[in-house]
Amino acid sequence: MALKRSLYQHIRQVVPLRQRLTFGGLLLLIALANGLSLSLPVPLLAHGALLKYTHTAAITVQAVYDTGQSMTGAQITVYAPDNPARPWLTGISDAEGRFSFVPDPDLPGTWSVRARHAGHGAMVHIPINPEQPEHSLRKQGYTAGQRALMAASVVWGCIGTALYFSRRRTS
Amino acid sequence: MHIPDGILPLPITLGGYVLAVSVTWACLHRINQREDPREGIPKAALLTAAFFLASLIHIPLPPASVHLVLNGLLGILLGPFAFPAIIIGLFFQAVMFGHGGLTTLGVNAIILGGPALAAAALFSVHTRVNGPSPGKVTAFAFLAGVVAVSFSVLLFAACLLIGMPAHIDAVVERSALTLLVLSHIPLIVLEGLIVGLVAAFLFRVRPHLLEGL
Repeated sequence: MALKRSLYQHIRQVVPLRQRLTFGGLLLLIALANGLSLSLPVPLLAHGALLKYTHTAAITVQAVYDTGQSMTGAQITVYAPDNPARPWLTGISDAEGRFSFVPDPDLPGTWSVRARHAGHGAMVHIPINPEQPEHSLRKQGYTAGQRALMAASVVWGCIGTALYFSRRRTS
Repeated sequence: MHIPDGILPLPITLGGYVLAVSVTWACLHRINQREDPREGIPKAALLTAAFFLASLIHIPLPPASVHLVLNGLLGILLGPFAFPAIIIGLFFQAVMFGHGGLTTLGVNAIILGGPALAAAALFSVHTRVNGPSPGKVTAFAFLAGVVAVSFSVLLFAACLLIGMPAHIDAVVERSALTLLVLSHIPLIVLEGLIVGLVAAFLFRVRPHLLEGL
């Protein structure tokens, strides 16, 4: 008993009052937390929640510039087949220029999606047929070789014109 | 700086066509008044090819990737031929690569061709008044290149601001447009340098190729 008492006095001398109080408070908090978790029912179980899922075909468009750069933050407008003048859905593309939406299955036909960013933009027309689901990855644009050939043909046309008009007149 | 199809409302595209046709008519009329109207065609054809190719070469100038426009160069080298040349170049860019569009051909011709004619006027007036010297030619050619591209960028932004559709988030589009205009500032300087250097070189070797000297 004397030993216990001297130990207490020793702690009292060595450990300052504030630290002792903090330590005690911490113990109290742990005890309270234990008691609460044991005594109170877990509130999550009070309302039964269920997650149902259905498998639907969504459409993801990706807007890129012809340089290959993603059109980040482009304004996407989706037009339903029944009214090509009024936007059905609007949104903003993500950092990779992607935007996904689930078209209304009751509206078969050609859906149109337009991307627009600072006056640049493109439009894609997506045919949707409920009986014949189409799983395809469509891509617009040409390969580098095709582009080079197309550019070369136009340039050759210009050179031909220049040569034609620069020849000397015979008359 | 090519506005694609479906971005602008119909009145603006129609107005663009009407303006572009009248400017083309005025340019052709001026060309026809020359002694030999066919003389400038070879040069115009070659510069049309250069203009057509320029939009395909992308220059990564931070913060964006831009392409050369060269409308200032066409202006100082072609004079009244610049506008028809730009229309033909724009037509092929739209048909071949979907760069711009056929419905917006008139608007794009005004956006790029109008400043080219302004550059031509600026270049010819000042060299004529002060008399040509290598320094002046280079300086005014630089100015012509700067003016042409900056006018084009401003016209492009103005057309889009006027024709903003109601369903678009105007604030987002306006800030994107501001960023686009600002990202063209390095290009404006670059184009000015290109036009200045070409003019300085041509003034030394073939001065008659420069329009308005």
